[in-house]
Amino acid sequence: MTKRTSKHSDGFSKKDDSSKGEPAPKSREKEFDPDGSMKISRGLSNKEALLQQKQLLAKSQEKNEDAIQRQLWGVAKETAQERRETLRKDDENPNLAKLNEKQKLALQNRGRKRVATALVRHETKRLQAAVAAVDAAEILQTEQAGLLEAENEMERTSGLSQVALKRQLQHVDPHAASNIYDLSLSQSAPYGLEYDRSGRYSILYGKSVGHLAMMDCQSKSLVTEFTVHERVRDACFLQNFTLFAAAQKNHVFIYDHTGAEVHRLSDHNDPMALQFLPYHWLLATIGRAGWLKYQDTSTGQLVSQHRTRLGACSVLRQNPANAVLHAGHSNGTVTLWSPASSQFLAKILCHKGAAIHSLAVDRTGRTMVTGGADKQVRVWDLRMYKELHSYFTVGGIPTSLDISQRGILGIGHGCHATFWGREALREKVKDPYMHHLMGGKRPVETLRFRPFEDVCGIGQADGISNIVIPGSGEPSVDTAEYNTNPMQDAKQRQEEEVRALLDKLRPEMIALDPDQVGGIEESDPHKRLERLHDLQEAANAKAVPQKKQKTKKRGRSKIQTQLRRKHRNILDQNTIKLRELREKEKLENANDREGNVAHKPKESAPAALRRFF
Amino acid sequence: MKIQTLKRSTLDRECPSDLRRASRNLDPTYHPLQRAREYTRAVTSAKLERMFAHPLIGNLGNGHRDSVTCSSLSRRSLLPLVSGSADGTVALWDLTSRTQVAEIPAHTRVVTGVVFAVNGETFYSCSDDGFIHQWTLHANSEQHKHNSIATWRIPGSLKSIDHHWMDVSFATASDSAVQLWTPERSTPLQTYSELWGSDDTVTTVRFHPVEHHLLAGCSADRGIGLFDTRSGVALQKTILRMRSNDLQWNPMEPMNFVVANEDYNAYTFDMRKLDQPTRIYKGHTSAVMTAAWSPTGREFATGSYDRTIRIFSLQEGAARDIYHTKRMQRVMTVQYTLDHKFIISGSDESNVRLWKARASEKLGQLTTREEAAQQYRSSLVKKYQHLPEVKRIHKARKLPKVIKNQTAQTLIMKESADRKQANRVKYDRKGEHSFVGERKKVVVKKVD
Repeated sequence: MTKRTSKHSDGFSKKDDSSKGEPAPKSREKEFDPDGSMKISRGLSNKEALLQQKQLLAKSQEKNEDAIQRQLWGVAKETAQERRETLRKDDENPNLAKLNEKQKLALQNRGRKRVATALVRHETKRLQAAVAAVDAAEILQTEQAGLLEAENEMERTSGLSQVALKRQLQHVDPHAASNIYDLSLSQSAPYGLEYDRSGRYSILYGKSVGHLAMMDCQSKSLVTEFTVHERVRDACFLQNFTLFAAAQKNHVFIYDHTGAEVHRLSDHNDPMALQFLPYHWLLATIGRAGWLKYQDTSTGQLVSQHRTRLGACSVLRQNPANAVLHAGHSNGTVTLWSPASSQFLAKILCHKGAAIHSLAVDRTGRTMVTGGADKQVRVWDLRMYKELHSYFTVGGIPTSLDISQRGILGIGHGCHATFWGREALREKVKDPYMHHLMGGKRPVETLRFRPFEDVCGIGQADGISNIVIPGSGEPSVDTAEYNTNPMQDAKQRQEEEVRALLDKLRPEMIALDPDQVGGIEESDPHKRLERLHDLQEAANAKAVPQKKQKTKKRGRSKIQTQLRRKHRNILDQNTIKLRELREKEKLENANDREGNVAHKPKESAPAALRRFF
Repeated sequence: MKIQTLKRSTLDRECPSDLRRASRNLDPTYHPLQRAREYTRAVTSAKLERMFAHPLIGNLGNGHRDSVTCSSLSRRSLLPLVSGSADGTVALWDLTSRTQVAEIPAHTRVVTGVVFAVNGETFYSCSDDGFIHQWTLHANSEQHKHNSIATWRIPGSLKSIDHHWMDVSFATASDSAVQLWTPERSTPLQTYSELWGSDDTVTTVRFHPVEHHLLAGCSADRGIGLFDTRSGVALQKTILRMRSNDLQWNPMEPMNFVVANEDYNAYTFDMRKLDQPTRIYKGHTSAVMTAAWSPTGREFATGSYDRTIRIFSLQEGAARDIYHTKRMQRVMTVQYTLDHKFIISGSDESNVRLWKARASEKLGQLTTREEAAQQYRSSLVKKYQHLPEVKRIHKARKLPKVIKNQTAQTLIMKESADRKQANRVKYDRKGEHSFVGERKKVVVKKVD
């Protein structure tokens, strides 16, 4: 298996030399069909398969190589490989003594020619499929993503203000221009906002008085609006826009899209942050007491509750790739949670000595961004749990962070909203992509990108600002993915709700590696058996009865007694003197009892001379 | 500065009758947790499959008046079914309406075999009373009562009958001989007795579907024999541990045949290599009485004395499915319909039953979407069938307590025997004992 990875990396790194000077196929070999219509049959020889692979790679270089790689490996290419590596370490030195002859032979023959050929064949087939998929995507996807590019060296995209942008767009794209607006809502400021999965609806929540409003962002109309007259700290949509949850002063409440209160979740006390896991139908809350609670919104059961032991927490975001929750704490650590384990899955010290104020995880689940009270925004690689680089925010603590679908990082700090381009997550970039300043000293409360649109919503101290960030939203919508279609009608919504419920994942399936469920453990079977055996032994081991503590005498442990006991056998001058005195006294007493009074000094003698008598 | 904002064609429908436009985004990052979701779907599919598993369609008419002993389906058309009973009556059934077309008081003793002629117009019945009758399909009960087309008589009792696959001749097995007949003649064309030097009763004869002159038969001396009708020569015979009750040629790979054996197992043999079976099909807890091939040749159904019908796929030694009902007694005859969708069983408590060959299949025309969904579900189950949860649901069958206990007991017996043998081999100083493969043990002797 080790061979496999090396082969792979070789295969992809050798692209350059393979593209040009390849030998022409021999006449008896099958002619390779460049259009890929030729089926790769089982009978393809190693040579043929290799040749075909080379040609496909050459072809992929001409085309969108990145897309092909994505098709080939998906999100988890690196994670999966990393996992395989660690498992392989197990297999490095298998205990040969325990293997029988057949197994030893199999081990020797591992990675021999036949297997290698099969692998090459398999990989060629996959590559061909990936190329075909990208070809198909090119034809099928007519949508166009947004773009903002400087045309010469002197221009900076960050210099473009929203006013200027609106002016420019007004004639070219009036629909996009209409997305730049401010809503001034002062009654319950500061305001936060949250979008649903399709990006069509948003909830605006006024934190102080509890003004909750749901907006249809497409028609820019109000769906519902009401005031709960208590502090609202967070809000989020459940499976679709028909239900949403709000973290109020004492409890979490669930409302429907008409504004009617559906549930009061009294188990969730003093909630400060909410997250809804759409594939597991779990509503997670964390609050003042630092308890992370998962509630199943389809059955209504409280699935699990974990004590974080890290105090009040108001920063909670999910990793969309594996549904693990990231909680940011006031001591600068971020902990990763799943409902299955009462202990955190990982704990990262992100900001030394500074509380975490905001957090975001990107769609691929590889990168996490944290903002701390030290005014740093740090970018973390979640595969290694290592910091990649950091950005300093001038003008205030980063109070809110979000990463758009296409990887643009938005930071709300003070009265500023700064946006960093797609490459800013991978490497340190000098200039931001865009920048927006709230006029009139209005600090940013929440910053959220609207899915499937080039729009960013900013909740601030004076209402809501809606701005356009070209290139932030994903243009192509998948109508088959649950509740992500912004044009979904009522019938579709109902159908998708049922389908999503049928596919509901069990809470215990949440793990750091999303491909773990339904996969195969690639490890040495002997090691695994041993591990299993150890586990069984540990489970079956007789519980060792605890030693019963001796009943001690009362007062033995008093400090005075202990000291006295300690000094009993130590002879110093004082003790000797005391002992002598006591001996003397004893003798005198004895004499007294015998009536031997001769030695007794006369009472009448003066005290100073008494010793002479 | 170059500015461009996201552009997307609106997905609105112009009128409500329009189809909703669907678009796909193949980027895997927009489909998170795909593996887990697929696995969940596989579990659901396995559950649905078990939920819809209602294999019994119903009884045919009111059944016979005595236990059903034999049955036959036409080789030409889907519908006609004829069955024989222990009280000597032969019944003709209509499968679409599940009703009896005619009941013929054909014999005075147990009907031991019925078979359709190759043209599908007439059928033959034979019985313990020594008579062979030929009947026509196109007559009502009244006419049948008096009119058999032809009748033959032999001394002794007949055990089995089978028709040639191409011409009009047919073969019978009786307690004295195997005989070859044509309808034109009152005496047999050929008579084979004392085959391989033994005069044991041949209980089953079956014509080879491709090599038309080849006959296979099971005899009471535990043997399976092949003989050639052209030369009148017995070719080969192999003796198993116990008697075989039925033999059927594979319709698609006709060099292979299946044997229903008294030792609770079914065996498939390659006729070119009779010294060991190609596979052992285990699971029945009593003698296997009958077997029937699916016309695809990939599966066969067996009926047993343990009151169950099991369906075996050719590749697996354990049954794919097990059918039973509260009232069904020992299964004496099983048939697979030509469209490989139904199984017909005749059992001791005189009923003829119609079953679905795939328990959870929906009958009737499926819409394209239904069919696609079903295919997707079954491929999901297939993909994840080795994972414990899916496996458990997929393989779960509710069995009568008796059979469950007997199965458990068989397992214990087998384990114990294996252990004993292992000990024998382990402590064997002289080298007398060694492990023998299961298949090697089946054949006791080969006679040429």
